[in-house]
Amino acid sequence: MSTIMQKFIIDINAICHTFSDGYIGIKNISVSISKGEFIILAGKNGSGKTTFLRHLNGLLLPDSGHIFVNGHDVSKHLIQTRKTVGMVFQDADTQIVGDTVFDEVAFGLENLKVKRTEINKKVTLILENLNLLHLKNRSPSTLSEGEKRKLAIAGILVMDPEVIMFDEPFSNLDYTGTLQVLSTIIKLNQSGHTIIIATHDVETIICEATRIIIMEKGLIKEDGEPARLVKYLESYGVKEPCSSKFGMGLQPWLT
Amino acid sequence: MAYVTPFTYRQGQSLLHLLDVRCKFFVICIISMSLLSAHLPACFFYFLVLLLFFKKTGLNIFATLNSIKYFILLLFFIFIARALTVKGDIIFSFYGMTITEQGLTEGFLVAFRFFLVMLTGLLFSSTTQPSSVKSAVQWFFKPIPFVPEKRVAVMISLSLSFMPVILKQAKEMSDAQKARCGDLQKNPVKRIIRLVLPLLKKTFISADRLVLAMESRCYNDDRTDPEFLPSGKETPFLIGSFIISLNLVWL
Repeated sequence: MSTIMQKFIIDINAICHTFSDGYIGIKNISVSISKGEFIILAGKNGSGKTTFLRHLNGLLLPDSGHIFVNGHDVSKHLIQTRKTVGMVFQDADTQIVGDTVFDEVAFGLENLKVKRTEINKKVTLILENLNLLHLKNRSPSTLSEGEKRKLAIAGILVMDPEVIMFDEPFSNLDYTGTLQVLSTIIKLNQSGHTIIIATHDVETIICEATRIIIMEKGLIKEDGEPARLVKYLESYGVKEPCSSKFGMGLQPWLT
Repeated sequence: MAYVTPFTYRQGQSLLHLLDVRCKFFVICIISMSLLSAHLPACFFYFLVLLLFFKKTGLNIFATLNSIKYFILLLFFIFIARALTVKGDIIFSFYGMTITEQGLTEGFLVAFRFFLVMLTGLLFSSTTQPSSVKSAVQWFFKPIPFVPEKRVAVMISLSLSFMPVILKQAKEMSDAQKARCGDLQKNPVKRIIRLVLPLLKKTFISADRLVLAMESRCYNDDRTDPEFLPSGKETPFLIGSFIISLNLVWL
């Protein structure tokens, strides 16, 4: 493991992935991510955002190239990678495993064979931090969409990852749900977590992001500061935020 | 919101709510087996015991009976079938079919036994959290060789948590088809095929996503063991249940 790799929490070297049906998911992607960054992965549907995220969690392995998380090769340290890089999926309903809110959050820790007393302590703390403690005995299916998304975040957060990735975190959410999830994500970033959000709707979060990566057809087309790249968004099929369109710069969505 | 069935867990602080789930699981097994050979007086006695527990747990027996009315209808058919098929002293005869005294008694007894088993199951499920049922299954399977008890427990848990999702998807699909005048199709087979095939496809896709989500959270078979919280009242409850079981067998 080189010293250059250790500078970044995630270091990706020329990864490619082609699916079994011949569809090219991502092509020759190289990118490095530092601790504490807030990154938006933008691009229209089918641009390779989700495929890219799944590689960072070790759910997909590259056909060629390497991914290093904290200096460890992902393909050789899957469990370590998944403890460091958590992923919140797009559809909250299909990622819920437990039959109560408490069980759902405890699932990850049970997989890591953490002691029961420790699990109880950690789960209670996380539920309290995310204002979900009063729901701990409820069935996840009875929660609102915003609460389900927060529960999915709690399920990842309890494993204490350094990086949290979100795949379309605001899809199917109403205004209240979006507010709940957005403020949770901002707090996570402020507490030192590295955040990566894959979305085709950047308006809600662009003001909070420190970096934006624009993807198209499995390639990284642009990578840089949001303020600089915002005007190129529409040429890649992503809607430019209204405030930017009207010459008001980037305005925070959460006020 | 989730659909509340008569089997849905309801929170409470009654004796049945507080008991260790393994104890309840064991008791429900021995009582159900004893009921198979129980006679009418013993069944009535057990029915009274059940009514007492319904009152103690705060469940409304009339609302419960109303919610299982289709099951009661099924029991009525069982009663009719037994009444018509068991040979004995003929009470009534028409068009070659005979109703016998022994048939009526046996039909009533069989239907009553099923009814009691159903009520026992209802009491169990409405006072026991689904997650603790999973833990109990894991505990009971642990000593059995070649049974991956932790995997079985996760499968039970997934079935319980996935059922509302599948029901929700089925309802959405049905509504979407109705919105496009799908209910004008009179052929019930075609209507079922139109609903079931897409639902199956969607369920498989959801299952695939669930696998990914579990994998991303380090799922494996070597997991933390479940926790049981005995209330201290398990021993007297077990003794009482044994006495009731013996009553059911011998009375």
